[in-house]
Parts: sequence; C-alpha cells; structure tokens
Amino acid sequence: MTNAQLEIQIIAALVAVACAIPGTFLVLRKMAMISDAISHSILVGIVLGFFITQDLNSPLLILLAALTGIVTVVMVEYIQKTNLVKEDTAIGLVFPALFSIGVILIAKNANDVHLDIDAVLLGELAFAPFDRLLIGGMDIGPKSLWVIGVILFLTLLLLFLFYKELKLSTFDKGLAATLGFSPVILHYGLMSVSSVTIVGAFDAVGAVLVVALIIAPPATAYLLTDNLKKMLILSSFFGVFAAISGYWMANFLDASIAGSMTTVLGVIFLLVYLFAPRQGVFSVMFKEKQQQVEVSLLVFLLHLQNHTDPKERHVNHLQEHINWGKVKSKTILNLAKKNNFVTIDANIALLTPKGEEFTAEALKYITTNEETAIEGLKKRFFLFRG
Amino acid sequence: MELTDFFTNYTLRTITLGTAVLGAICGMLGSFAVLRKQSLLGDAISHASLPGIALAFIITGVKNDNLILIGALISGLVGTFWIKGIVKRTRLKNDTALGLILSLFFGLGMLLLTFIQKMPNANQAGLDKYLFGQAATLVEEDVWVMATVTGISLIVLLLFWKELKLLLFDPDYTKTLGFNTRFLDILITSFIVLAIVLGLKTVGVVLMSAMLLAPAAAARQWTNNLGIMIVLTSILGAFSGVLGTAISASQDNLSTGPVIVLVAAAFVAISFVFSPGRGLLFREIRIRRNRRELHLRKTLTFMYHIARDHEEISHPHAIKILNNFHGFSRKSLTKLEEQQFIKLNGKEWALTKKGYNEAEAMYNKMGTTHD
Repeated sequence: MTNAQLEIQIIAALVAVACAIPGTFLVLRKMAMISDAISHSILVGIVLGFFITQDLNSPLLILLAALTGIVTVVMVEYIQKTNLVKEDTAIGLVFPALFSIGVILIAKNANDVHLDIDAVLLGELAFAPFDRLLIGGMDIGPKSLWVIGVILFLTLLLLFLFYKELKLSTFDKGLAATLGFSPVILHYGLMSVSSVTIVGAFDAVGAVLVVALIIAPPATAYLLTDNLKKMLILSSFFGVFAAISGYWMANFLDASIAGSMTTVLGVIFLLVYLFAPRQGVFSVMFKEKQQQVEVSLLVFLLHLQNHTDPKERHVNHLQEHINWGKVKSKTILNLAKKNNFVTIDANIALLTPKGEEFTAEALKYITTNEETAIEGLKKRFFLFRG
Repeated sequence: MELTDFFTNYTLRTITLGTAVLGAICGMLGSFAVLRKQSLLGDAISHASLPGIALAFIITGVKNDNLILIGALISGLVGTFWIKGIVKRTRLKNDTALGLILSLFFGLGMLLLTFIQKMPNANQAGLDKYLFGQAATLVEEDVWVMATVTGISLIVLLLFWKELKLLLFDPDYTKTLGFNTRFLDILITSFIVLAIVLGLKTVGVVLMSAMLLAPAAAARQWTNNLGIMIVLTSILGAFSGVLGTAISASQDNLSTGPVIVLVAAAFVAISFVFSPGRGLLFREIRIRRNRRELHLRKTLTFMYHIARDHEEISHPHAIKILNNFHGFSRKSLTKLEEQQFIKLNGKEWALTKKGYNEAEAMYNKMGTTHD
C-alpha cells in the first residue's frame, strides 16, 4: 500500500465520520432531505467562492459555500411559512433552482474554472493526495486531509459540548424549549455544522454521494439500536467500513471511489434492512406471523370456554365453526395441547385448569382494554410458540 | 436565431416539440405528486433510475435509447417500491427513505458509469448526457414516444378521473367506498415514474424533479380546481420547456436542463408573489387594508362615545383628545372626512349625522356579536 493510498483511505474515513455525526441528528429529526438540498445548492457558493479565491480548499470558499447552505435552509423555511405549498415541495423548489445556477455558472466559465460537472457529482478523492499543504516549504500532508480533519475536530468538539442539549431537543422539542435551550439556536447550529461538513466532504465525494454518507450510516444504525450514543458510534463505524472497503473495491474495479463507497453502504443497508434482529423485514414478518398464531390460539381457547356443548367442542367441528382451514386448526390444536391448555378426549377438546386460568385472565385484559398486559401473561404461563 | 427557425429548422422544431410535450406530461402528473405530498419522490425516482441506465448498457452492450429507457423505468420502479417498503416496514421516516434510495442508487449508478468508461467498447459518451440532459440529442422518434405516453396517461387520467381525485383529497374515504386504493396508488406512481424516465434524456437525472413539481407548484397558486390546475400546469410546463430550449439554443455552453428549471422556477416565483388569491403581494395588501379599516373603525367608535354624551352630535372637539391608541393618525382623519363621517375645522373635529349613524350601527352590531 503506497502512501497516497493510505492518505486517501484516511481522508475517506474522516469524511465518513464527519458526515455520520450530523447525519444521525438529521435522520432522527426527520430532516434528512434537507441535506440533499444543501449539498446541491452549495454548488453556487463553491463556484462563486472559487471565482474569488481560485483555490478549492481555501477556508473562505468553505465559509462562503456553507453560507449558501444556510441560505438554502432559510429560503426553504420561508417558503414553508408562507403556506403556499406543502413542506417538501419547498425543498424541491429551492435546490434545483440554485443547483441550476451553479451548473450554468460552471458551464459559462468553463475556460477559467478548473471545476467540471463530473467533479461536482463525484468528487475527486483519487487526486486528493496530490494537492499538498505546504507550511514554510514543508509538506505536512494533503490539503483536504487538513480541511476535513479540522471540520471533524470542530464537529466532535461541538458534539461533546452540546450533546445533552442536542439529545433533548431532538427527542422532546417542547421540553427543551421550556428548559431554556433555544430550539432556534440548536436548529441553526446543526444546520451550520451540516453545511460546513457537506462543503468539506463535497470536494472528496461530490454532491449526491455526500448525502449517502449523511443518511445511510445513521439510517442503518437506527435499525439496530435505540440508544443515541450507540447509534452515533455504529453509524461512524459503518461509514468508516464503507470508506475503506469502498476504496479497495474501486481499486479492484477501476471505478469511482465515491461510487463504490456508496455501493458498499447500500449493501450494508440492504443486509440490515432484511436481517436486523428487531427492525428487519424478516424478523418483523416472523413477529407478525407469531402474533397471528397467538391470536388464533386465544380465539380457540375462548371458543372452548364459551361452549359447553360437546358438539361445539368436537375437533372436526372447529374447522367450520371458527372458519379455519384444516392445517391451521391442526396447528393451533397441537399448540394448545403442547402448552397443556387443553386435553382431548375422544376428539372432544376440554380446557385444563391451566387453560381455564389463562383464558379467563386474557379475557379480563381484553375487556378492560389492557391488551399490553397480555405480554406479561404470556411469560407467566411459559407460552410455547409454534 | 429567428422565430421562424422554430418552424423551418428540423432539429430545432423536434427539440421544441419534445420539450413542450415533456413539459406537458410532467405538469399533468406533477400536479398529483405535489398534491399528494410526494414532491421529493420525483427527485428520488430520477436519481434511482441511473443504475438502470448503466445496467441496460452493460447487459445489452449497445446504446439503444429505448432499451435504456426500459432499464431506467425498471430501476426507478424498484427504487420507488423500496421506498414504500422502508416506510411501511421499518421505523425509518419518509424523508430518510427518500434520501437513502436517492443517494444509494445514484452512487451505484455512478460506480457503473465510471466502470463503463473503462470498458473497451466504451461508446458511452452518450450516457453522460443523462446526468444533465441534452435536448439537442432528441430525435423525432423520441417525440413520438413522449406523445404516445402522454396520450395514454391522458386516457388513463380521464378513465380514473373521479377515483384519482377522490384518492387525492380523501384516501380513507376512497377506501371505505370500496375503491382499490392500492391499485390506484400504484397506477399513479407508475405513471409518475414513466414521466420522469421520459424526461431524463432532455433534462437529466439531477434536475428532473424540478420539472415535475415547479409547474405544478406555480399553477396551484392560481386555482383551487383540480381540472383547471392540471391544464394550467401542462401549459406552464410546456411553455417552460419551449422557452428554456430557446434560451439554451441561443447560447453556447448552456445545458438545456438547468435553463428549463430556471425558467420554471421563475414562473413559481412570479406565481408566489403575484397570484391574486394566494400570492404574497395581494396578501400583504389585504392585510394592510384590513388594518387600516380597523383603525378607522376604532377612531370612529371612540368619537361616537364622546358625541353620545353631548346633546348635539356635531359638537366640535379638539383633535388633541384623540391618540394613537384609538388608531388615530392624520391620515385616518382625512380618510374619515373623505367619507363624510366627520367635519374637520382647524384643530377640531365634529361628527356628522352620517358618521354618527354609521358608528351607532357598528356599535350595535358589535354589541350583538359579543354578548
């Protein structure tokens, strides 16, 4: 591994972490799409800044571009406040207009600007190591490494300083406001950090893919944990993992680094989406299936409790009476037997004392509208699920 | 460029027709997207179609526009239904799902595009144009495809007009009436995806969403009637297409997509400010007029109270006793005089008979509504 390769990976990993932190809060605050808007509209700021500074890594350019991001947020909020269009339409109107201006500015000045559209959409991570930062003639590393390093440092500093406030205002805006933490300051603080981060990352990974780094790792982490700290750590981890494995994938395929980083993120998300222990598609489907069986079991027990007539309790009669198919009634019957809720005597089902007790209690919870208590009930009776 | 070029120059005529038809269909379907709060869905779909474009090229190895459109359509639909799946099955919210699919699919698309560039048969120069669109590459066949799709969606729209309208404004009611909302939802979403895919070649992946929602957002300001809104949106969309093409054709180095988007954005801005019913300008004027009216009434009521305690209603009083709190100002006083409610004489004012009656009527009315 050459020095340049190592530097690229470090830059990519730093970008990933710097994006994941504000991203976590954006996802939790249901403002994920605002990052899309910012990442597009800062193009105008970058182009204008470039006209002034002639240097893509100049701090002035980053500030100018970040300012454009905040202007975007303000414009979106202003349009939302007029109530002329629905909320998300406001986002969809502002950023394409600003982005168009940026694209046209680049196209019209193609000769003077060393910016091209591909770089805007994809970034130029592969060239990052060639732009060195020289202080007093000494080479202290690639410029973009320093830029993103400083941004990450500031983000982490702000995160540690205002963790409590951010957490509170994210989950309970009302309480945070009553306790005296200004929602406006926190909101715009978060927006500023996001803008600066997006501008810093823009150079490395481009306009659209910075959105992937902001949204995908926190969204993936959110499917795995309920704890904010764990979510921050997990999403940083996913980001770094995607950065490094994405780099090697790009190396192998000889394709865009940013593109393959995003693809790795996509694969991780797909896996978690399908297989996450509690939130994943499969486990949700399994849980739903299980609940169906449980409800059916309860229906069966209630039926037995209600009817003393042997004809009603005849095993074969169940099918037509509760309207279940043959297989389903057999499964439920077996489940009830396994749990010692019923005994079967000459094809007549009879509730055991344990079954009687369970049914009576469940019925009580249902009629008093305390269905949640049934979960505890299931545990007490060691309900065995089929 | 002369105006007659539009009718004589083949290429220009094709492009103009193409963007006009595109604007019309986007407007038609965009109205639904905007009213259903799915504005950003268009953004996600257009980005999500990029891997389809690249895959269609990799699999077939030829640059056939229609195959590429089908690839884009499939991957756009996959993206759309995945978004719906994420929102339905997990706790992730709509905005996160949109952003996820948008960026992840686009990233995959970019990976494939850069991969194609390195391929030996890389006659891929044409694939780049899907990013920002290039109306200049439109040929007559494209226009026919667009026109056909527009025709089909128009027929479908007319066939299901009542159901779609109901779904738009009251989905729950639609369901209770027994309509298959799932089918209707899939129907309208599929047509939106189709419209977006059609526009990719002209406007490009990145800006297609604006094409879909800007004309609709503009038209929404002028009417409260769905039928009128759709017609108006189509006209605005077509007009932005034509005007945008004309502007970008008149200069070098101007992609069509961004120019069309800016023209549409200008229409939105104009509508926001100048629409008579909802526009910001007239709203402000109405607010000011109401405020002034209120001040006049307050002053008149105050005068009425004073005049009532005197035998003669037109007994003159000093202007000095009026103050700002009563909504009094030099301007409101002259306004009152203009309406002949009071008479001004030097530093004194006096209520006229007309003014007294007016104030009395107002006062009585206030009494009945408040108590």
